[in-house]
Amino acid sequence: MISGYLDGLGMVLQISTLLAIAGGTLLGIIMGSLPGLTSAMAIALLLPVTFGMPPVAGIGMLLGALCGAGASGSIPAILLNIPGTPSSVATTFDGFPMAQKGEAGRALGLAIVASFFGGVASMVILSLLAPPIAEFALRFGPAEYFSLSIFGLVIIASVAGKSLLKGLIAGLIGFFVSTIGTDPITGVGRFTFNELSLLTGVNLLPALIGLFAVSQVLKDTFEYDPHERMKESAHRIDIARPRFIETLKHWKAVVIGVISGSVVGPIPGAGGSIASLVAYDQARRFSKTPEKFGSGHASGIVSVESANNALLGGALIPTLALGIPGEAATAVLLGGLMIQGITPGPLLFADQSGTVYGIFLAYLIANIFMLLIMCLGIKLFIRVLTVPRKQLLAAILVFCFIGVYGVDGDVFNLYLMLGFGILGYFLNRYGFGTAPVILGLILGPIAESNLRRGLQSFQGDWTPFFTRPISITFLIIALALLVLTLWQNYRTNQKNAASG
Amino acid sequence: MERDIGKPLFNLFLLVASASAFVAAAALPNIEIVGDLSPAFFPQLLSGLIFLFAIPCLIKDAREWWIAKQIHSDTPHALQVRSIAQWLFVVALLAGYIFVFERIGYIASTGLFTFFCIMGFVVISGVWSTLSMSQRWKSLLSTLVFSTILAVAIFYVFTVLFKIPLPT
Repeated sequence: MISGYLDGLGMVLQISTLLAIAGGTLLGIIMGSLPGLTSAMAIALLLPVTFGMPPVAGIGMLLGALCGAGASGSIPAILLNIPGTPSSVATTFDGFPMAQKGEAGRALGLAIVASFFGGVASMVILSLLAPPIAEFALRFGPAEYFSLSIFGLVIIASVAGKSLLKGLIAGLIGFFVSTIGTDPITGVGRFTFNELSLLTGVNLLPALIGLFAVSQVLKDTFEYDPHERMKESAHRIDIARPRFIETLKHWKAVVIGVISGSVVGPIPGAGGSIASLVAYDQARRFSKTPEKFGSGHASGIVSVESANNALLGGALIPTLALGIPGEAATAVLLGGLMIQGITPGPLLFADQSGTVYGIFLAYLIANIFMLLIMCLGIKLFIRVLTVPRKQLLAAILVFCFIGVYGVDGDVFNLYLMLGFGILGYFLNRYGFGTAPVILGLILGPIAESNLRRGLQSFQGDWTPFFTRPISITFLIIALALLVLTLWQNYRTNQKNAASG
Repeated sequence: MERDIGKPLFNLFLLVASASAFVAAAALPNIEIVGDLSPAFFPQLLSGLIFLFAIPCLIKDAREWWIAKQIHSDTPHALQVRSIAQWLFVVALLAGYIFVFERIGYIASTGLFTFFCIMGFVVISGVWSTLSMSQRWKSLLSTLVFSTILAVAIFYVFTVLFKIPLPT
């Protein structure tokens, strides 16, 4: 492990890598502070920039974006009562009331430091837990990989869409798209329509950028209202500086936030809003002054923000160790890893331990950059909220084009991106979600090739898929989750019907 | 409940698309390998499942749309028409941008796309009609400058700094 960390340190402590992480963090902060623009979109837009970089620098840049967006969602939440990201919803509970009292700078200072503490603590947890999980996963054969793929797809489908069926449909669409191209076993062309660009399958990048960036721009285009004005808020930033001592005074809230984020983070599909709400609720329960929560209480902000960034490190555990991302942003990050030539999973830890530990350290440095950039540029980032939407939307689309065309200079990929963008727009609009599509696209080939290779080695016998202990465990958990989600949906429908 | 005909229509589209994919998959050649599944197995299984799952979604969404239609029988709001126009305009502009991307080069196509995209928002959203002549000229000029700077700056940053080749 020590040699792995030393190798990783050598990769991270290079000027180009540090600049890449800082650049990614900066873009993540900007994107996260704009309501409607997500961390997944920030990562998707940065992917093309990382092409020519060494893996750790490229992934460090994407992790910087993830970390920056995770923390900066608190800016509009505190200043405008509009969460920049879903996980910042709970930040509005105490952040906005504190800002209304004229203490916006204090609220931001607390949020920045709490995010930093949460991120650093989760990095420690990530580096302790991911390697043993990956080592355990080295026992996986074709049957286990097939079951794991089904498990991952079911989990994200059950939480990403507004209904289980719609989430599953979205996952199956991604799964189906992954079958386009040359069949991996027989070499038969499937749905290529004599298009040379499709022979090697659908490129992941046009799908990622289309589903997460273009679809979001199309949504913003539909909702574009020139008369909508962001409230001028810069004057409220009176004393915006990091609040280390004050945050440490609320150490209980930090610990609760870190525990909540680290426990919820690795659960695929649980998401940031759940972690932050759990942290907020627990901090209130353990507080000596629970009545102050909701009226601008520092513990409320600290617990939520430390949970938000602790969640990111937790979410990286299944992504890196098993290749199963828990939600949209880590799904896009997984795509980024694969584009960089890194296949997440147990073999990554065995074969490229230096890269893995380099990624851990890059995440730690991303948190440090997040703290520095947020502290130095807080007043500037608030100005981002006033950038005219029409210029911003046009510029994002231009970046999308560069990203997709830059892969291999193939115009066909641009048409694919537009197609995925339109599909993603409708999938989001009608409650299917886009994260399951990407996961289906990533897990599809794993599931299909492992099922078929497994069947070949078992002479066409299906029973090992249902009798091997790890494989059946994954399938049972997936089935249990399906039943549980159906039950929850049923209960919700019953409650809605009862309340009229 | 939402009165959005798009919801059931999208489910209908999924039904038709998955049925077509199922039929197309059936036409794939089969190569026998001991223990292996045919290349058509997965596409057929997946399209079949999408078809099956889309049926209850279609029924539920169509029922909700029908109930909502009985309650709100008003005509589409002008705001919604404008939103649809903005959306269609951007999609058409994107298709046009892709079409001319390599034909006229990156700087020209990107400059034109950015200019028409921003001006399209200004015109379709109704802001243009509220502007005086001098404000219109100012808007045109500032958009022209922004589009040119964006296209040229991005071109040089990506081709020189990141070594990503872009069409000239």
